[in-house]
Amino acid sequence: MCATDAKGSRGAGFSLWGFVLARTKTRRLKPAPLRLRLAQLLILSFAIVPAYAQQTTPKTAPSLAPKRDLSGLWHYEGTGASEPIAPDNLIPPMTPWAQARFDVERPGYGPRPAPGGNDPILQCDPMGFPRIMFLNTPFEFVKAPGRVIQFFEHEHEYRSIWTDGRSLPADPDPTWYGYAIGHWEGEDTLVVESTGFVDSTWLGSTGYPHSEAMRVTERYHRADHETILYDITITDPKAYTQLIVGPHRIMRLRPHDVMVEEICVPSEEKSFANRIAKPATPKSTR
Amino acid sequence: MRFRPLYLLTYFLLAFSVTLGFTAAARAQAAQQQAAAKPASPSASSSAPAPAPKRDLSGVWQLEGDIGAAPIAPDKDIPPMTPWAKARFDAEKPGYGARGAAGGNDPILQCDPIGFPRIMMMPTPQEFVQAPGRVLQFWEREHEWRPIWTDGRALPEDPDPTWYGYAVGHWEGDYTLVVESTGFNDTTWLSPTGYPHSDQMRITERYTRVDHDTIAYDLTITDPMAYTKPIVTPHRIMKLRPGVEIPESPCVWSQENEFTQRIRNPATPKPAK
Repeated sequence: MCATDAKGSRGAGFSLWGFVLARTKTRRLKPAPLRLRLAQLLILSFAIVPAYAQQTTPKTAPSLAPKRDLSGLWHYEGTGASEPIAPDNLIPPMTPWAQARFDVERPGYGPRPAPGGNDPILQCDPMGFPRIMFLNTPFEFVKAPGRVIQFFEHEHEYRSIWTDGRSLPADPDPTWYGYAIGHWEGEDTLVVESTGFVDSTWLGSTGYPHSEAMRVTERYHRADHETILYDITITDPKAYTQLIVGPHRIMRLRPHDVMVEEICVPSEEKSFANRIAKPATPKSTR
Repeated sequence: MRFRPLYLLTYFLLAFSVTLGFTAAARAQAAQQQAAAKPASPSASSSAPAPAPKRDLSGVWQLEGDIGAAPIAPDKDIPPMTPWAKARFDAEKPGYGARGAAGGNDPILQCDPIGFPRIMMMPTPQEFVQAPGRVLQFWEREHEWRPIWTDGRALPEDPDPTWYGYAVGHWEGDYTLVVESTGFNDTTWLSPTGYPHSDQMRITERYTRVDHDTIAYDLTITDPMAYTKPIVTPHRIMKLRPGVEIPESPCVWSQENEFTQRIRNPATPKPAK
């Protein structure tokens, strides 16, 4: 929605696209059971190895992943983005604290959309983490000494994932994008732990609150040169009675793309809300 | 090394004090401490700063001095405006400076991006991170950043205008990063006191690492659509802030709006016209 210029219709286009997807239940992601995930990996490895053996088809075979390196611009495959963090049926029961918050949320998408809702991003308040992970816009990893920097096209945001061995702060000042540390498991999986989030962001465009006690664990597994398998788990006992386990998502390298500067600009956002978003939002189905 | 004359003076005073006795020696010691303290940051107490590393600006930096809401250049150093710029200038209602007014129309009051180069004049820290093919510049203010491409590419011919522009850099010698930027939209102001610019604006910056702890910073704005001559800003000094991590401080509209109503508007003086 935060298109920065007249040509940059991608932002507005995405909003409507996301809206269409949110209304199309068949496109919902389902989390793959572990057995299926293993099977997928097995099939993938069968697919890769012979392709490597046959040098006649080099174009179709992705090259091997570089070691301990996620550098590059990535984008979700398919509709991995513009989806809720997890389908409604996989959100565990809320605590009374979270339920009270959930009840006053008026999201613009999902089964309870409302025109003139109170989604914080409507006034360009930061989207926050991890919601920013579920957008149909690219993000980029850049390696720097002691950290991996993750840049998000949406909101022109970034966060540092500290890889210098420090631990998470015991009592962090809450921020919109939290405090993140990472370590490598083997040569190809970056495990990121983060904490220190403000509780004013939603987990997705369909709502769902979280508390300041939220901790997020992510696994970025570089399966091959062009592929990251992404898993996210949210632990927030103040808000949910169990972990939220996000569906398995796939990200693809976009070597020829560049990120554009897509800042959320309140003056533009207000005009978009009044001109497009409000007229387009159907009345609540409740 | 820049401060060698001070060392020589100190050594001379120390040697001379041997013949003059204890009092003179004490005086010389004081002079030595003074000489050392002057260029060093507060954390480095007893010695002059180390020499600058080559082709490396990495670290957290902060402008020196009390430059809270300093304009990009004093009013007298702003060259005459074109009629196009003058019309824009007249419509601006800044919150600071000679034309300061409550309920103004400074774009940042509603969290529209502060933009470049205005963000450079903020008293909050900024950071350089070296990465392959680019130097990344981060600002605490607005939690913003820009890449300065150092892979030899040229500025784009017809860039899409953005708030922070498109920047390329090259090293002049081992200590000066020269940054050229263009592709700015024309909705940002140059200063809290106003002053417009056009989307033709081009900026040249020089970041000279004088020693380990110091960058000398110079900025020149060329914008013939708005100003009849380049704007040459005053020489500024940035100091290294070792151990400082840039916190996350995005502009949050809901908070900003409340601040404007509660603090900013009541505190802004009536225009001094």
